[in-house]
Amino acid sequence: MLESAIEILLKTIVILALPLGALPLIIHVERRGAAFMQKRLGPNRVGPFGLLQPLADVAKFMFKEEVHPTHVKPFFYVAAPLVALVVAILPLACIPIAAPFELFGRTIFPEVFRTDMGIFYAFAVSALGSYGILLAGWASNNKYSMLGALRACAQMVSYELSLSTSVVAMIFLYGTNDIHQMIGAQTGYWFGFLPKWGVFIQPVAAMLFLVGIFAESNRLPFDLAEGESEIVAGYHLEYSSMKFALFFMAEYIHMIALSALFIILFFGGYALLPGMSFLAEKSPILLVALQALSLITKIALMIWFFVWVRWTLPRFRYDQLMTLGWERLLPLGIANLIITVLFVYYRN
Amino acid sequence: MEFASFIVFFVIACTLGGVLLGISSLLGQKRKIVRKNDVYESGVNAVGSATRQYDVKFYLTAILFLLFDVEIVFLLPWAMTFNQASNQAFLLKGFIFFMVILLVGYIFVINSKALKWDE
Repeated sequence: MLESAIEILLKTIVILALPLGALPLIIHVERRGAAFMQKRLGPNRVGPFGLLQPLADVAKFMFKEEVHPTHVKPFFYVAAPLVALVVAILPLACIPIAAPFELFGRTIFPEVFRTDMGIFYAFAVSALGSYGILLAGWASNNKYSMLGALRACAQMVSYELSLSTSVVAMIFLYGTNDIHQMIGAQTGYWFGFLPKWGVFIQPVAAMLFLVGIFAESNRLPFDLAEGESEIVAGYHLEYSSMKFALFFMAEYIHMIALSALFIILFFGGYALLPGMSFLAEKSPILLVALQALSLITKIALMIWFFVWVRWTLPRFRYDQLMTLGWERLLPLGIANLIITVLFVYYRN
Repeated sequence: MEFASFIVFFVIACTLGGVLLGISSLLGQKRKIVRKNDVYESGVNAVGSATRQYDVKFYLTAILFLLFDVEIVFLLPWAMTFNQASNQAFLLKGFIFFMVILLVGYIFVINSKALKWDE
């Protein structure tokens, strides 16, 4: 009993500390990446290579005045950033950072919430993300905020449809909902060199999912929710100091969680990267470390991809966004699902 | 037991958020200026309330999302059990029937221009 409690606490701390510790680094990479693509220097004064800049920003956020506008709905105004952050953190609970392993005679599942409905749970809680935004926009009682929140929600629910069709196709192919089994199906190689990743079986589903996670996390080219030229800052317009920082953190953590889900479905999750397997045979603990390293490397590449796209593609117009979601991606997702089902049926 | 771990995770996440929320109201400076608490409106006085009528398209999008999302949620358990099932021919017929209904609904929605935003 005590051992289980310690195990749960340790796992919770590790799973929370990894993304929260990576946050300053991600923000730094984003800024320096932006500078790199625009041929300027970026933050490089605070600490070596400007690495301490995000920490300085956190300190600044803490000491800023909290403005409580008089026209807001007080309870929901304070609750909204909290909801946004907690909802962004929750999907992380079911993401395993390595395969189950033996330690001190116990089998340890390296995810906090061990469940056989892993992917269901992850999408159920990550879909709640629109509540934080809607609550913030409505409670701020400001036209810009309200418009930003409405836009963000309409966009998130629209792209969730095509995203879900691609998830259905993947669950259909793997025939399971359990994350460890899904990753198990993706370990190994075809013809000795091509990893058995889902992306090579279902490229269309992978593309739909990729577009979907950009829209879900409100990142460019889908950041209509905070289109500066039209609605100033969108749903977090009336927020200041740490309350604003919570929305900021929630966006990045949501990105990490969605990237992790993308990698689990299409890039083999913690399955070892090509070329690592000869190292992993040496000891079981080394295997666990290498699996965690593989997952973290894949997520880091994904985050870099987010930054890359952000400074490459311009923002959509709103009608283009809705047309793309409903009239292009949704039919494509359904057609992909039907073709997958027919293919599997006639192959059997 | 598994669910206990979820509750622990949830409580710790909430505490973390709460502490972060509390920190700036504790440490932040406090200077009370009345104008600071006004509605943000690019420097001018705000006209009217924010709870006015918005485009009905947002509402339609939400309603249509519910319809299509429910259909996709129905497909999830179907997709999970298909590979182990013995009566795959029957399941496939059900799937095709379901998809035809979905398609008819989808064509109706597109034709009624419910999702056509002004250009």
